[in-house]
Amino acid sequence: MNSRRRVAITGIGMVTPLGHDAPTTWAGLLAGRSGLGPIRGFDAEGFPVRIGGEVRDFKPEDVISNRRLLKYASRPAGFALVAAEEAMRDAGLRPNALDGHRWGLSVGAGMLGVAFSELETVHRHCVADGEFHPDGFLDSQFPVDPVAFCRSQTNAGLGLLAQHFGIRGYATAVHTACASGGQALGTALKVMRRGHADFMLAGGFDSMLNPVGISGFCLLGALSTDNDTPHQASRPFDKTRNGFVLGEGAGFLVLEEWASAQARGARIYAELAGDGNSLSSYRITDSHPSGDGPIQAMQQAMQDAGIGLEDVDYVNAHGTSTQMNDRSECAALRAVFGSHIQRVAVSSTKSCMGHLIAAAGAVEAGVCALAIRDGIAPVNANLVEPDPECGVNLVRGQSRPLQIRATLSNSLGFGGSNSCLVLRHPDEVMAPSGRGRFPLGKATA
Amino acid sequence: MNSTPRIMITGVGAVCGAGLGVDAIWSAILDGRSAVAPIRQWDSSRWPARLAAEVTEVSSQTLVEDRRLHKFISRTDMFGLYAAQGAIQQSGLLAHREKLEAPAVTRFNDRSGVFVGSGGGVYQNNYDFLPLITASGGDLKGFGRELTSTVNPMWLLRNLPNNVLCYIGIRHGFKGTNACITNQCVGGIMAVAEAAAALRSGEADRAVAAGHDATIDPETVLHFHKLGLLAEDAVRPFDRDRRGTVLGEGAAAFVLETDEGARSRKAEIVGEFLGSGCSTEGTGVVGVRPDGAGLSQAIELALADAQVSSEEVGLIVAHGNGTRASDASEANAIHRVFGDRPPPVTAFKWAYGHLVAASGSIDLALALRALRDGVVPGIPTLNSLDPALAPLPVSQKPQSLRGSVAVIACRGFGGMNAVLVVRAVPVSRAE
Repeated sequence: MNSRRRVAITGIGMVTPLGHDAPTTWAGLLAGRSGLGPIRGFDAEGFPVRIGGEVRDFKPEDVISNRRLLKYASRPAGFALVAAEEAMRDAGLRPNALDGHRWGLSVGAGMLGVAFSELETVHRHCVADGEFHPDGFLDSQFPVDPVAFCRSQTNAGLGLLAQHFGIRGYATAVHTACASGGQALGTALKVMRRGHADFMLAGGFDSMLNPVGISGFCLLGALSTDNDTPHQASRPFDKTRNGFVLGEGAGFLVLEEWASAQARGARIYAELAGDGNSLSSYRITDSHPSGDGPIQAMQQAMQDAGIGLEDVDYVNAHGTSTQMNDRSECAALRAVFGSHIQRVAVSSTKSCMGHLIAAAGAVEAGVCALAIRDGIAPVNANLVEPDPECGVNLVRGQSRPLQIRATLSNSLGFGGSNSCLVLRHPDEVMAPSGRGRFPLGKATA
Repeated sequence: MNSTPRIMITGVGAVCGAGLGVDAIWSAILDGRSAVAPIRQWDSSRWPARLAAEVTEVSSQTLVEDRRLHKFISRTDMFGLYAAQGAIQQSGLLAHREKLEAPAVTRFNDRSGVFVGSGGGVYQNNYDFLPLITASGGDLKGFGRELTSTVNPMWLLRNLPNNVLCYIGIRHGFKGTNACITNQCVGGIMAVAEAAAALRSGEADRAVAAGHDATIDPETVLHFHKLGLLAEDAVRPFDRDRRGTVLGEGAAAFVLETDEGARSRKAEIVGEFLGSGCSTEGTGVVGVRPDGAGLSQAIELALADAQVSSEEVGLIVAHGNGTRASDASEANAIHRVFGDRPPPVTAFKWAYGHLVAASGSIDLALALRALRDGVVPGIPTLNSLDPALAPLPVSQKPQSLRGSVAVIACRGFGGMNAVLVVRAVPVSRAE
């Protein structure tokens, strides 16, 4: 490959349990504030798990004035529209009739989402004597709702984003469970590098905080049952961790070709510099104890970015707070970083936000960009007794001021997909001074 | 510096209502046999729109031999894994890997990608919770309390949209770059496009690209019917009297390799991937642009990516879903790109229905066969071309190819368009 396009992050938007925008979320993360609490969105009293990271008091109409569009937006699609709107405004950029076809869209989207009330309607009409009867749908009383049908389409969020912003180019939605958000950004990077778009709106959105969604994880025993202490329930890398806390939200980035971002005087948060993407091919929910899979993803991402171990100052870990994930992720980190491991700051911001599933990787990449901008690694909250088996340099107690030249953002999914993104400080790109391997314009693949 | 590698297709697998395996499906198409029939997955006798192209009389064990897996996956996954198995088997990749030394095997696996277009789930996945709603009398507190004693603990795992991706990896040891694309109808074809992109950029040396779906689900059929999208007798692409589409189910999968990799192991080459294009129309969740400009943009991007001119195209496999709006805008798109002398056009959904996330994948499998056999199958359900769509070279009878390159068009909800350009017999591209 000849000289390769560089990709700048110029806009960030977030809707998370910590706030309805990126600045509030970022301030919460730096302060180590918990966005987790008792579930209020539905009556969770009988459930084994009664806590989550809910986006509270969310009113998309405060940000998105197109009411008709919002009618077609599920809860997570509403998060997506609001976070994407913030990212676009932050970048000071908007597709227009002339360049809409050069804008792409890449999202990590959740599983099929049906409102619980809709499932109750099916139950009311189609279940008799404990049996399911499809003919109940033919009942003239059955409330067929075409808008609800549209809302539940797997790519509805993608279609609404394209419509709202006037994006006319490459558009894709990916779902690799918890790795979705990271993979969506990785895909966006590749689409820009191969010249299929000059701008990308990329991110992830999800909400499984509903009776069916949370049930799926309850049945697997994957969630923390610390119902009385929600603020401490998510404690990645702590010895006493006992599962993750389900969150919801969205994260979006605006990506632009570096030179054109510079030319218009855009504020560049960071370079989206590398993507690593592997498949563990081990077991569907278990990660390999050795870290096999994530190891390859991290190595590929750094190679792709053209950086070495010595360039990485901070890792935003997947760090779900399950026994297995955190141990295996640390094994991977130790295997990758070797003697550098104690120099690299590691934290999981899921300690404050919970696990945003398909949105997690996208929000966390935005977190990495802000960490680079502000020179601070956000705290891994609730770390009282670090698991001695983890053996990595965790950001404990409070957020840590740190010159960050490059960060990794890990996202590891059920099903074994592993995504690792590399973000670099813009100064590293502009003035390589021996650290960056490839001077601008001569990058090689 | 290496130039961009050429991408070869060395294996194809498929299953749909029209048959098990590409040979069987191709015979059905040449014979004019359609799998469209009244739905049998439930008693549909009272349903106003009761047609679909179901995969019938095929046991789960025929699709996925390993019975232990059956309780961890759903119907759509079985189709995807069957197709992938067929493609991998035809490619001979595993036999090749067996001959490698241990370090080379590790590298082989790390350099083998997996790309899947998945439907992402259907309404009836959630019906596993209906007994719980019954048991709890509609009370959420009771729902929560009875959950673990009523619902299968594997529920979430059975319904993960990325199961096929995961199990192709686990079964065959492939560990490279990967994606599960849940972009509704265009997912399967975008999986091929992304697999090819990964090979071109050097992220992988080979990749499996699959598309699978199983949407014949009562609530889905209900909504499609109410939106006026379902035909009540047959799918009649581009016909004056077309009345809608019919849902199908199944999967198709491909093995893609770099030219160098395929030739060095003397693999039999089924076809060459030349290029892809993708666009969105921004028309909301279910709308299409009447003027076809979104699709024509995708076709033009794909031809440019393939470095092929529109005159070189010998066959268009249209999306041709048989709905009024989509077929009309597709004809407009074809005219925008190919003027008033387009190459022969055909569409296959009359035979196996609309496979949604797998629709483009299955069309690609048959496009490759059409190129190999040098024939453009007719559309038996086409009685009379809609005069508003003329001139459009579609026919009830088989037509002759105009060249060795095929364009496969695929469209979906969300205003999505994805197009592939392939050719059958790889010829030297030396200028």
